[in-house]
Amino acid sequence: MAIIETFGLSRHFGKTAAVEDLTLVVQAGEVLGFLGPNGAGKTTTIRMLAGMMAPTKGYAIVVGHRTDRDVEQLHEVVGMLTQTPGLYDRLSARRNLEYFAGFYPSIESHSQVEKYLKIMGLWERRDSKVGTFSKGMKQRLALARALVHEPQVLFLDEPTAGLDPEAAGEVRQLIRSLREEGRTVFLSTHNLTEAEMLCSRVAVIHTKLLALDTPEQLRRRFFRRQIIVQLEALDAKVMEAVKKLTFVQEVREEGSQLILGLTDLERNRPELVKAIVEAGGRVIGVSEKQYPLEDVYLRLIREENQNES
Amino acid sequence: MSRRHIRNILVKEWVLLFTDLNSALIVTLVPLLIVGQGIVYIWLASNFAGESMLSTQVFQTALQKLVEAIPGVAQLPGEEQLLVLLLSQFNFFLLLIPTMIAISVATFSIVDEKLSGSLEALLATPVKTWELLLGKALAGAIPALVMTWISAGVFLLVVSWLGWGDLIGYVVTAGWFLTLFLLTPAVAILSFMLGVTGSSRAKDARGAQNTVLVIILPVLALIGMQITGIVWFTPSLILVVGLMVGIAAFITLRAAVRLFRRESIVVQWR
Repeated sequence: MAIIETFGLSRHFGKTAAVEDLTLVVQAGEVLGFLGPNGAGKTTTIRMLAGMMAPTKGYAIVVGHRTDRDVEQLHEVVGMLTQTPGLYDRLSARRNLEYFAGFYPSIESHSQVEKYLKIMGLWERRDSKVGTFSKGMKQRLALARALVHEPQVLFLDEPTAGLDPEAAGEVRQLIRSLREEGRTVFLSTHNLTEAEMLCSRVAVIHTKLLALDTPEQLRRRFFRRQIIVQLEALDAKVMEAVKKLTFVQEVREEGSQLILGLTDLERNRPELVKAIVEAGGRVIGVSEKQYPLEDVYLRLIREENQNES
Repeated sequence: MSRRHIRNILVKEWVLLFTDLNSALIVTLVPLLIVGQGIVYIWLASNFAGESMLSTQVFQTALQKLVEAIPGVAQLPGEEQLLVLLLSQFNFFLLLIPTMIAISVATFSIVDEKLSGSLEALLATPVKTWELLLGKALAGAIPALVMTWISAGVFLLVVSWLGWGDLIGYVVTAGWFLTLFLLTPAVAILSFMLGVTGSSRAKDARGAQNTVLVIILPVLALIGMQITGIVWFTPSLILVVGLMVGIAAFITLRAAVRLFRRESIVVQWR
């Protein structure tokens, strides 16, 4: 079931386009990674989807609400983690959450506050002033605030930006648990490892939507599947045997490794191994070459920059 | 729902107000300073400048207006008539309390939230703009109002203690009550609405403070007009002024809601 749909969503600031003609669909329960360089329009998109900014063209429907018209109803069913935690330092963690929970009539705020302080590991510090918290604790509290009213869609804008590795890891773990609960999460980030780790699909944006797919499909789109054969030693006899195979499209040596592009990789992989062994090669391992999402991302951005210039 | 939202804002604002020593001192000390200053002024005037004041045309005109409004005053000796005139200004003088507190407290209300980033998170909730602005204005206006009433009580106690208790009957009139319970709340709400509006539009608290300054001038004008005998504020006149200020507060709220640009706040304050 589609829970977020955008139709030619655009936003201009004067003559500058921040987001241009964005059309995408996010299914309920999906964690969508929204990738792009600084100034690519990620935050502007999130703000439009969360009903905090009106599009200049096009529209979006989130949980059945037009984001430019049904703003109050929309705010009841979406949660947002902004780039800065934006908490009240002089209030306790509990009081901070109670305040924000107080704007949602449909929830029992005391039990919800207790639930999320416990989930975020802040229950023991519930009565401490937020000003005494570390950055990571503040971010967890801000995440609790975004979740306290049990939103159907959660918008996270750079949730690990500026956090140390440990705190970032804690936040990622929390997002992972949200995915396991089946929540819909729209995650804006420029941390590609994070996106790959947490997201079922990723969208790459650079004012315009450049790509939207699973990380695996994006890799396949840009890079031919290759397999790596790790040998004890690589000699000319093995190379000759491999090159004779008709299904081998490309072959490259890297130390004692062979990197090969094959037609119909699954079917021909056993034939390849057989040919290597028959030529006297001692195979240590066979694996598929994994291109990092970063390579896909950089290629998309580079192509877009070339198109623009 | 609106009542719940406004109550929510009130509770949070009060916790913040009274956990900040600076703000708490402003709310509690400013009224006492204003009362103290007023009483000292009246005491000095009546003890050291009474005769010269009585001989001036301005005060003679004012006393004439006072006698017309409260005929019983005519039976009092000249010095006591002057004392009644001076003490009668005090209810207008008390109007300075909510305006002064508004300058100090309300002007920070939105600017602080912009700077800390909490406003963006707040605007992502179902809170309506008018609920937010009214909640913030009431959060300052209610304590300021309570402090004004306490100050009025303190003033009457000190007046009795100074031996002027016999004159209270001429001072605490229907006009006194109307000023305290109609005009003062209207001025308090208007001051705080202006402060919050200024705060929502300004880039810093200083800019917002300039907005509230505009209300101090009319308050000073009210005091000046009565003490110089230009006009004597009868109960019906106070009623009219109170209603006008109330309407102005309502118009300010409507204007503030229109002027509150959620989008600009979100975009400009990151």
